[in-house]
Order: sequence, then C-alpha cells, then structure tokens
Amino acid sequence: MKRRPSFLAITTWVYIVWSLLPVLLAIRFAFNSGRSRTSLQGWSLRWFWEDPTLSVFHDPTLQSALVHSLELAAIVMLVATPLGTALALGMRRWRGRGSGTANIVLLLPLVTPELVFAVGMFLLFTTAFGFIGLGTTAQAIGQVTFTLSWVVLIVRGRLATIGRDVEEAAADLGAPPLHVVSRVLLPLLVPAMAASLLVSFALSIDDFVVSQYLASGADTTTVPMRIYSQARGGPTPALNALATIMLVVSLLALVLAYFVFKALTRGEQKEQRDTAFRQLAMEM
Amino acid sequence: MIDVSQGDIELVGLVKRYDDVVAVNGIDVNVAPGEFFTMLGPSGCGKTTTLRLIAGFERPDEGKILLDGVDMSRTPPHKRRVNTVFQSYALFPHKSVADNVGFGLRYQRVTKAEAKRRVGEAMALVRLQDYGQRRPAQLSGGQQQRVALARALVLEPPVLLLDEPLGALDARLRLDLQVELKRIQEQLGITFIYVTHDQDEALTMSDRVAVMRGGNIEQLGEPRELYEAPSTAFVANFLGASNLVPVSIGAADGDGAQLGLGSFTLRADRCPLGSGSDAVAMIRPENVRLEPQGNGGENRVPGMVEEVVYLGFHQEVRVRLANGTLIKVDVPNDDEQVEHEQGDPVCVHLPPRHLRVLAADAAVAPAEAAPVEQVPA
Repeated sequence: MKRRPSFLAITTWVYIVWSLLPVLLAIRFAFNSGRSRTSLQGWSLRWFWEDPTLSVFHDPTLQSALVHSLELAAIVMLVATPLGTALALGMRRWRGRGSGTANIVLLLPLVTPELVFAVGMFLLFTTAFGFIGLGTTAQAIGQVTFTLSWVVLIVRGRLATIGRDVEEAAADLGAPPLHVVSRVLLPLLVPAMAASLLVSFALSIDDFVVSQYLASGADTTTVPMRIYSQARGGPTPALNALATIMLVVSLLALVLAYFVFKALTRGEQKEQRDTAFRQLAMEM
Repeated sequence: MIDVSQGDIELVGLVKRYDDVVAVNGIDVNVAPGEFFTMLGPSGCGKTTTLRLIAGFERPDEGKILLDGVDMSRTPPHKRRVNTVFQSYALFPHKSVADNVGFGLRYQRVTKAEAKRRVGEAMALVRLQDYGQRRPAQLSGGQQQRVALARALVLEPPVLLLDEPLGALDARLRLDLQVELKRIQEQLGITFIYVTHDQDEALTMSDRVAVMRGGNIEQLGEPRELYEAPSTAFVANFLGASNLVPVSIGAADGDGAQLGLGSFTLRADRCPLGSGSDAVAMIRPENVRLEPQGNGGENRVPGMVEEVVYLGFHQEVRVRLANGTLIKVDVPNDDEQVEHEQGDPVCVHLPPRHLRVLAADAAVAPAEAAPVEQVPA
C-alpha cells in the first residue's frame, strides 16, 4: 500500500516551488527574444551576447560591472582566506585573558545589520581613513572585514574536528611549532581553506550594501549595484541575463566548494566529513 | 639497540593545578630504566595529567621531571627524548602509514636510506610491513594503534609514554595487544610509562603499578603485592573484586586482632590498626569458602544465598550474612561443585590469614549494610 504524502511533505514542496518561482521567472526572461520583462516573447540568447549594443557582452556598463564584480571577488577571497585562517589558528593558541572577548568580537559582523556596518565603513573611509578614500580598495577592505568572520567560522569548525592531539603528536615526535603548522595543520586545513575561498567569493559577488556605500563612481559599480540602479530606468532583459550569469557563477562556486571539500577529505571517516560539511553548508 | 642505562625517570614533588583544582598533588616516584611502570586509577585521579607533564604538553607548577638525572620540566615537548602513544592514536590522516612512521625521523639527523631502513624495521616490529602505502583511515583500530606505536618507537626513545593506548579497542583485541606490547617492551628494553584505568591491563603487563587517587599515589608496588596486600580500602576496591566488611577492632591477638562483626567475632592473622577504631575487613571473593549450614569453628558466619551469578569458569554466589552484610563468594565450576540456590542456608568461612584489616574510608562504599527487603518467614 502506498503511503499518501503527508501534510508536512506537501507544505515543504509548496514552499520550495514558491521560493524558486521568482528566480525561475527571472531566468526565463533572460532568454526572452523581445524587449519585455513581463510578457513572454519566445526564446533567444539576444540579451547575453547576440544583441550588438544592449546585450551583457556588448553593453559597456554591464560588462564593466561584471568585470569589477569578479575582480573584487577575487581580491576578497585571496585576502580573506589566508587572513581568516591565520586568525583562526591564532584564536586556537590564545587561551589567556581576553580570548573570550576576542572570540565574540570576531563573530560580531555576522549579526551586525549590514547597513549599519556599511554606513560605519563609509564614515571611516571619508574621514579617519580619508587617505584611502572610496573606491575599489575601500570596497575590498569592507568586504574582507565581514567575510573574515565566515572564514574564521569555517576554519575553526575544521580545527575542532582535527582535534588538538595531532598537534601534540607532531610536537612529541620532534616537530618545532612552525613545522606543526606547516606539516600537519595546514595540509589538514586545505579543505576548509578551499571552502573559504569559494564562500568568500560567493559572499563578495552577492554583496550590495557595502559595495554601494564604498563605491566611488561608474568604474566601481558592481553587478548588484548596476541591476539595482537600472531597475528603475529603462530595464531590458539584459539585466536578467546579467543576474542569471551571477546566479550561475555563485551556484558553481558553492557546488565546487562542496566537491573540493569532499575530494580533499576523502580518506576521512564519512560521518565526520558530513558533519563538517553540513556545518559549512549551514554557515553559507 | 638502546643503552640499557638510559631511561631513568624521576618525578620530584610534581604539582599541577588548573585554577582551583589540583590535578597532580605532589608526586614523587622513580622509574627504573627498562621498567614497565603503570599509573592506574579512575578518571580524574591525575594519571593522564602526570603523563602529559612528562611528555611536556603541560607545564608543572612545582617540582622536577628528571630524565637520566637531567631536569626537563621546562623543555618544550619537541626537544624531549620521550615519545607518546595517544589513546586516540593521533595519526596524521593526510599521510600514508609509512610517512606517519617516518614523521619524526626528519628531526633526527639520519640519511634517507637509514630513515627508510628504520621505518621498515619499526613496521616489522608491529607486524605491519605490508601496509606502508595505506592511509590510516584504511586500517582497523588495532592496526592504527600499532602504527602509532611504530611511529613513536622508530625514534628509539629511552622512555615511551602510553596514554590508555588500548582504551578504544574491543576486549578481544585488547588482550592480543597487551601481549604484543609486553613483547615489544621486553625486546627493546625501554622504559614504558603506561596510563590506564583497566586493572587487568595493569596487573598483566606491569613490573610496578602506582594506584592513583586525587592527584596522589595511593599505593605503589608490584601487581601481586597490590592485589594480595592492598594498604587501603580504595586500592582493594579498585584492584579486583573484594568484599569490604565494616568491623570494629577488638582485643589484640598476637600480631592479629579480634574483629567484631555484629554479634559475631572474627579473627584476623594480622592487624595494623589499634583496638577500638573503626575499620573494614577486606577479603577477596576467591578466598571465601562456602560450607554446609551448621558448620562450626573459627571465622564461620551463617548466612543465606541471595543470588547466584553464572560466570563461565566460576560462579559468584552472593550470601547475606546473619548480621545483614552481603558477601561475594567465588565458587569454581570444577568437578566438586556444589549447586547453590537462592534461599539456601549456608555457612561462610572467612579464613583469618586472608582477612586484611584496613582503615575505614568514607569515600569507598563498603559491602551493603542491611538487607533491603528480605524478611525471613
């Protein structure tokens, strides 16, 4: 006898469809062959590259936004990952007075409203750190600042599953402190660092508030900023195409993060790895 | 392989505190070169902390740790000539078994060829010569533990520290590895300092055992001495099964004394305590004799069988004595066995030479005092 789907299962599916519907609609219009973003007019790749002036590939404003977004994301992931890893390692060593407070302060950006954080950053770069000023550098610093908390969280989670005894074992076998890090901890942290790279990439690509506040002009406009500003002017499905590209890139980053993490922790016990990744997925 | 004059460990007044908690409370002990020395005790007794102090993972608050006469209590762990086998194995999951074993050789100036030979030897010693290219996760628990052992032994330390190395293994494997550990220790002749809460491990492998409690050594001696002549109720209770019977000490009787057990009087051949004090009389279940009801004579107390537990090669018969004390008796399952059943009246013989009088210890529960529900009809 077949069990009838339960109320909870139906609710879940309704929710999933409902939450995906707007995304799917937006993607559908990216492939619209007409100019309209509301009525279906057949399929085409016009808004990606076929249109000689208005497509993502040919419109210089859209193109520069895409390039700037990718640049910024690359900088953020390459700075935040090593820095966050070092911070997590430092926090693990530091057991004395003040370590508890530092712990909380480090994770504060996770719960600070992004708008408050961005306004604060804006004031900082226009007054105290006026010599830096607004622009790409400010945007990168701002994004690194809040991305760092995520990296620390991911690396610390991994450190917790690694445990302290491999460090002690390495020291016991004669490895000086630097070698404990380079020969044992860092190789074991590679999965977490790979995940951190991709997560910070995804966070940066998605960011709107911080980029918006710390931007200095047209050449520091990111994709989310461009989409937001053009949504009111004469929008074309090229915006949908741009958004679709971003969505695909973000999704690829996450999927890649999963498989890289999985591949790099292959030898380990399954449940341990799964817990680690689930933790990671939840954090994202 | 190793200079037999090496591997002398001396702990002098070792103290370790964590905030207000004293984990190790002034330990003095001298471990001879080549000795299999065991620290035995319940969790929280300070045995692991002591081991970690010797390894260098913790700094002592007071006291010295001498290796062959040189204090190393301030030396960082990577510079100490002692190696540790961890309970969790602590193998490096990203390295092959051979690379795990060879990890520490990098810090001993040896040539590549020499390193390879020594890794091979160490793996042969633990009978894992064919497993060099595997990852630790591809090995069973017992094999992983042997890799951990090889990884430490390859460095030829004068002293090897073992922190409950068999704790995570199942009972059968534990027995096999006990034999193997002892074989390796005798073959290499190096000092083993072994931490365990398992009394069987301590008794079978050790030259000497320190029974620890509350950061102190409660008693130190050879396994046989500890088992047969425990000096405190705690040691008697922790090592092996024992009956601890609360008694009052009466008149002296030669070296021994009369002991009051309710309305009965027992005699112990030896009694280190003065008359009038409260004490417990300790007797091992295998030294108690069950006799037919009505048997008279010295140190015989009537009772009733409350429970019989079949344990394979012997039975444990629990007898409620007439004064309410519960006594466990080991009855071997040999040809002369007499079947006992619940409710049988019997006579319990507590031979005077097996009764040890120990100071009463509130923290160690004596045999149950009163019958809970049994009301003879």
